[in-house]
Amino acid sequence: MRQLISFSIMSVVLGMVFHVSAQSCSAADEYDYDLVHSSVSFKARHLDISWIHGRFNDVSGKFVLDRENPAKSTFLLTIKTASVDTANEARDAHLRQPDYFDTKQYPTIEFKSTSTKPIKGGFKVTGDFTMHGTTNEITITLMGGKEHVFGKTKRVAFSTEISLKRSDYGFDKNAIGPIGDVALIMIDCEGVR
Amino acid sequence: MPDQNLYLKAIEATAIISTICVLLIAALQRFGSKKYLSIGYVIAISCGLAVGYYMLSLQLAWPPRNALERFLTLVLPAVLVIELVAGFHRLPNWSVWLFRVTLALILPRILLHDSVFLMGSEYGWLLWQIYLVQLVCGVLLIGLWALLSKLTERSPGVSISLAIQMSTLCAGLTVMMALYIEGGEAALPLVAALLATTIVGSLLFKRSDESEDNGMPVIIGVGVIGLFSILFIGRFFGELTTESALVILLAPLLCWVTEIPPLRNQKPWFVGTIRLFFVAIPLLVVLFLAKRDFDQNVAPLIVDAQFVPKIYTDLPSRTLLLSRRNVQSR
Repeated sequence: MRQLISFSIMSVVLGMVFHVSAQSCSAADEYDYDLVHSSVSFKARHLDISWIHGRFNDVSGKFVLDRENPAKSTFLLTIKTASVDTANEARDAHLRQPDYFDTKQYPTIEFKSTSTKPIKGGFKVTGDFTMHGTTNEITITLMGGKEHVFGKTKRVAFSTEISLKRSDYGFDKNAIGPIGDVALIMIDCEGVR
Repeated sequence: MPDQNLYLKAIEATAIISTICVLLIAALQRFGSKKYLSIGYVIAISCGLAVGYYMLSLQLAWPPRNALERFLTLVLPAVLVIELVAGFHRLPNWSVWLFRVTLALILPRILLHDSVFLMGSEYGWLLWQIYLVQLVCGVLLIGLWALLSKLTERSPGVSISLAIQMSTLCAGLTVMMALYIEGGEAALPLVAALLATTIVGSLLFKRSDESEDNGMPVIIGVGVIGLFSILFIGRFFGELTTESALVILLAPLLCWVTEIPPLRNQKPWFVGTIRLFFVAIPLLVVLFLAKRDFDQNVAPLIVDAQFVPKIYTDLPSRTLLLSRRNVQSR
């Protein structure tokens, strides 16, 4: 009888231990970029009087959110440059050329986080941004992080805006003129698991 | 963005520097033999190209990041060094050709380095396709080089060099009209340097045929490598079609037409004119088609002065006409 009681206590203790450890494992959720409910768009100055808008249609990514230790959260985003779309085929063809994105040489734009800091309403994420063969460290403010659970599907969403200079990424300076140097990239993404 | 004034200045500067170099060589040759004319030509072309590319502000980085940079920093110096070594006449002809064949075979691989084509099937080609493309391109290049060199030996004259420069200029313009502006620009100093060296050299060294070195292998070598590279870059990294690239590349081979018996023994000026005439025909057709596509597809973008060859902004009536035509066609 004594053995049975001690076995039962042992089982309960072990069960609690495993439950706690399982909880701490699931605190870091891994999400895949949801292409259907996300968008990566951009705009750049045209002749310094207006903006040209465009988007990238082929994007993938993965983010790991650790609610208990947000500093361990990681974000990875990969944009296929050939999927650039400005609603004008001739302009898209030109943007794919080596004068601009050089999609045959640099097929992707990538962001890979290196450190994450929680802030009110989101995260401050520092990482390596690689475009046109040049990698620079940038810090972005990811707002959001709200979760939505429907059935077995869990979603989380973030949005951010990145302002960068094309000249910092080795773009041909002769091609910077009518199209301004500064480009704004707007990312609104949902992660799904 | 295309700037015709800048292009003209770069072409002028390239031609002037190459001319000065050839004149300096001519001055030196009075005191020596004409044995090392090829070396002088290599120096003249190199100096001209350096000035021309500097004026065009073509971006150069080390290590080179794209195909154009690899052409400018690796391929062009390599062919110049090969022709420089050949100019010393210390090496037997077969070993010089061994260098040339090696360069021709590895050139496609150099230009394609790190590109999507070599990244596996997700983006590019399968392994056998990579080897096939490299082999076919390499064989095509060495075939063109050998055939033009052979023709230069059989029936020398500046017309062969002029034919290559015509093709290179056509390649540059076609690549630009296929919307790879910088790729097309690279052809301009090349044409200017080779043209200036050829013309000034041929005027100054008219009687150099008794010499064993007439400098033509340098012109042919640099010209053929330059022509091939610009077309290759335009085809694989730009929007140049395979058909246009092949026609432009093979057009100089029409110089062989003068080797048929009725034309073979004509006067040199007549032979030269016939060669250039035959070479010009396919090039003009390609240029016409490229211009037509450019007007159809790109005109809507350049109407608002975005891509602007200056000629369009200088002619408001033409601009207006294009705008109206676009509106109507929609």
